[in-house]
Amino acid sequence: MERLRELESEIYKCIHCKACRFAYSGEPDKEGIGLHVGTLGNEVLYEGIVQSCPAGIEYGWEAYWNAGKMWIARAVLEGELDLKTQGQEVADVIFPCITCGLCSSQCENQIPTVEVIEALRAAVVEAGVPLLDKHAWMKNASVTKNNPYGGPKDQRTKWAKDAGFGDIINKKTKIGYYVGCTASYRQMNIAIATVNLMKKLGYAVSIIDEEVCCGSPFFRTGLIDEATRGMKRNLELFKDYEIIMFSCAGCYRTFTIDYPKWTKKPNDFKTIHAMELVSELIRQEKLVLKSHTELDGKIVTYHDPCHTGRHYGEWFKERIIAESTNLMLDMRKVSKVQDEWFEVPRRIIKAAPSVTFNEMYRIKMDSFCCGAGGGVRAQYPDFSIRTAHLRLDEADAVHADIMLTECPFCWRNLDDANTKYEHGMQVMTILEMINKYDLIEKFEKIPIEEALRENHAELHMKDKPRKKK
Amino acid sequence: MEYNNCEKKDIEHFESIVGKQYVSANPAITASYMSKAIMGLEASMGDCVVRPRYTEEVRKVLIWCSDRHIPVTPVSAGLSGGFSCPVTKPGGVVLDMSRFDRIIEIDEDNRYAIIEPGVTNGELWAYMKKNHPKYIPPIADGAPPAATVLGDGIDRGFSLVTSSMGPQGEIFMGAEVVMPVGDILNYGSMALNGTKPFYRWGLGPELFSTLMGSQGTMGIVTKGVVKIFPHPHFKTIKAYAMGNPHDMQDLTLELGKLEFGIAHNTVMVQGGNWPLVMTRWPKDKVPHDYSFYKKIGVPEWWMNWEIWAQTQEELDIVTKTIDKYAEDFKNSDRCRDPDAIKEWKLHPKQIESRMKKPNLIAVPYSYWDAGFLFITWYVPWNESADFAEYYNGKLRKYGFPEVMWIASIERCRQAICMPIVCFDSSKPEDFQRVQDMNRETTEYCIEHGWINYRPDPYIHAPAIYSKAGTYLKYLRKVKEMFDPNYIMHPGRLMLP
Repeated sequence: MERLRELESEIYKCIHCKACRFAYSGEPDKEGIGLHVGTLGNEVLYEGIVQSCPAGIEYGWEAYWNAGKMWIARAVLEGELDLKTQGQEVADVIFPCITCGLCSSQCENQIPTVEVIEALRAAVVEAGVPLLDKHAWMKNASVTKNNPYGGPKDQRTKWAKDAGFGDIINKKTKIGYYVGCTASYRQMNIAIATVNLMKKLGYAVSIIDEEVCCGSPFFRTGLIDEATRGMKRNLELFKDYEIIMFSCAGCYRTFTIDYPKWTKKPNDFKTIHAMELVSELIRQEKLVLKSHTELDGKIVTYHDPCHTGRHYGEWFKERIIAESTNLMLDMRKVSKVQDEWFEVPRRIIKAAPSVTFNEMYRIKMDSFCCGAGGGVRAQYPDFSIRTAHLRLDEADAVHADIMLTECPFCWRNLDDANTKYEHGMQVMTILEMINKYDLIEKFEKIPIEEALRENHAELHMKDKPRKKK
Repeated sequence: MEYNNCEKKDIEHFESIVGKQYVSANPAITASYMSKAIMGLEASMGDCVVRPRYTEEVRKVLIWCSDRHIPVTPVSAGLSGGFSCPVTKPGGVVLDMSRFDRIIEIDEDNRYAIIEPGVTNGELWAYMKKNHPKYIPPIADGAPPAATVLGDGIDRGFSLVTSSMGPQGEIFMGAEVVMPVGDILNYGSMALNGTKPFYRWGLGPELFSTLMGSQGTMGIVTKGVVKIFPHPHFKTIKAYAMGNPHDMQDLTLELGKLEFGIAHNTVMVQGGNWPLVMTRWPKDKVPHDYSFYKKIGVPEWWMNWEIWAQTQEELDIVTKTIDKYAEDFKNSDRCRDPDAIKEWKLHPKQIESRMKKPNLIAVPYSYWDAGFLFITWYVPWNESADFAEYYNGKLRKYGFPEVMWIASIERCRQAICMPIVCFDSSKPEDFQRVQDMNRETTEYCIEHGWINYRPDPYIHAPAIYSKAGTYLKYLRKVKEMFDPNYIMHPGRLMLP
């Protein structure tokens, strides 16, 4: 309850206006692409404001939309709900939330809704409510095998050895590549593409065979002890690297945003997503992409992973607010930082000559989630896949042949929905596309530091010297 | 009045009516319907939530509850600002009408829309923009996209054209209402079976007024007919700065009286004072001194005229008339602070932002601290300045920022005056201060003949109805006729 109490003043800001259930809640006149009938016959009007909270759409009850959860949190704080006796009922409605953060991005009162939901989940766990069965399984797997999939510890870097990258294991380099559990045990294609690309571009990276789960699934589901156990271990394992590189949105978010919050101090290393480096190379015109016949004429679209997209957007905003002494003036910086941030993956796609890039209607801070996060894919697979299917409907609406993303977990869920609901699309990450189709025409190496956030998106957070009158 | 809580047999019966998946007695779900902000600070939890989809389902639920003396509190998807009619006495059924979300008919010639109570501002706006772009729905200005059109209408709020076309209550052309005893009553011309909803006053005498402002105490609206309005393309905002509320009131009144012309073009006329800007931000993150706001161009008091016209020429006539009247007023002896009267030149982005509908303009006042309350009063327009001065004095006395918003209704026949009380709702002492101020000001306002909008069940309703005499006597008879077992939203008004 301690964390929930810490957030009390944020929770009490909720006036139950319910703007949080929509994408573009402040843009009623936004031009869209009209009505689209999905593959299962469900209609969505992609115009103006669109209902976009996955849990609310799936379950309908007020409790499943964000505003309902804020009032549940308040009822818990005020003793109107007793977690000791009613914790199970609370758990039933707060766990089917993907923690995508759409709600947070819409909130005019700037309530950190994802933090509130995570704190509420932690309070439920702390009250002794039995863990949901799949969450309990994940925790047990993590405790015993250091990953939520239950993959053998000694197989964590098998993908690297199998792909001929045995030479990068446990090496001392400037850049450590934190692979993450999904790319280590499930979507090895993404890990392989990332290392392959780094090798081609001339960046030496190392992986660590003792790497443990970043803790993201456990931070998200209220299992704080297990989350922080992994965090401490990773901080120890990676402490000697200057820069940690990621290909997983969730791991990147957890290292960058969660770790300093829980340790209450900055990380000893810098963090970067591999796509940031590629994007910066393109921005500096050091990397030129070429066409490929298999991609010619293809329409691609891009799904912003919540963890590298909106969660970072919110984090930038949170920091600007925290540092500001006059928010009326400083709030103007937020959209600049966010715009620059969301351009990072888009810059790469736009540089690929073969493909046509059609954006979906809900993108960037208003993006619709793939349905995988927040412990939902494990515990509520049907809801999770249906959400991914709705996202693919949106990609269908812009005639996409290829759904690009930059997260193995999004990849997994979107691809499963693609198969199950017969969308006939191709799902891949941007870096995978570059690697698979060998799109590098020419490149010239730059210092990786130039690609760090502080040298692109975060530049806009700094005050420019004011002109003297 | 004695009420029963929902028992297992009740839940099972509701499940048999609407389906098991649309009934829940999960306390977390009932808690999620609470709201203690914006329009009232108290709320309780119901025993269960029922989510009907069809009128017949509502009818069956009400008949059962009436027989069993189980309270029923209806909620649509939300009112301006959020859920505003939560359960006031613990227990009973929360009747969630959000599944009634159909847009049934838009009639451009007769200019009405038939919609269900769960249709939100955002949905109807998007639908009409796409399919009927020459018309707009009567959504409440300032109400967020999740607020419902019928909820705001029946609550007698103000629409985006209220300053020109009259209060939100007048948008209704008819409705289908399920009475607590199970009768289905059609209002307006729809009372004659099969008749189009073209005539609001129906067969006469007209009964629908008894539902207006009823706060869910009389029956359940399952279908409503509301006026839609033309949406001309020539639009702008004209704003003038003033040094005090009296100049704001008097200049605006002069323009409001220009009926059959200028005043009808000014669809939304609203203004206020500079703390309206300041309190949209966290209190420790913005300057509290007016000098900063002055420097960035925010007047001490101001009035906006949102103008709609069919042609640029017509638009120009209105804006020039406002300029002329402002100049004349400034040079007249009626003006108290001539130096302060000047046009507030708005940036195109500010104009665009103010014309955006639906919008979230009323939402961020929680950002100042951790909660806010609108305490809204209807007053004759020419008393709005007195109201503002009085209320700001009380806000000051009780230690709250002096935030005052005022809008014209029906060309300055009435004013809707809304002090915004920004406070920390997590602190009991702040809560007590708000209630103390509310009690003190309510006594004063009622003495002056001012009428509360959306009365608080614990302060405004008892104070107002205790002075209503014969009116209350007959209102109770109406209540008894519609709802003999008093199941509808008990505690909300004094009915009982």
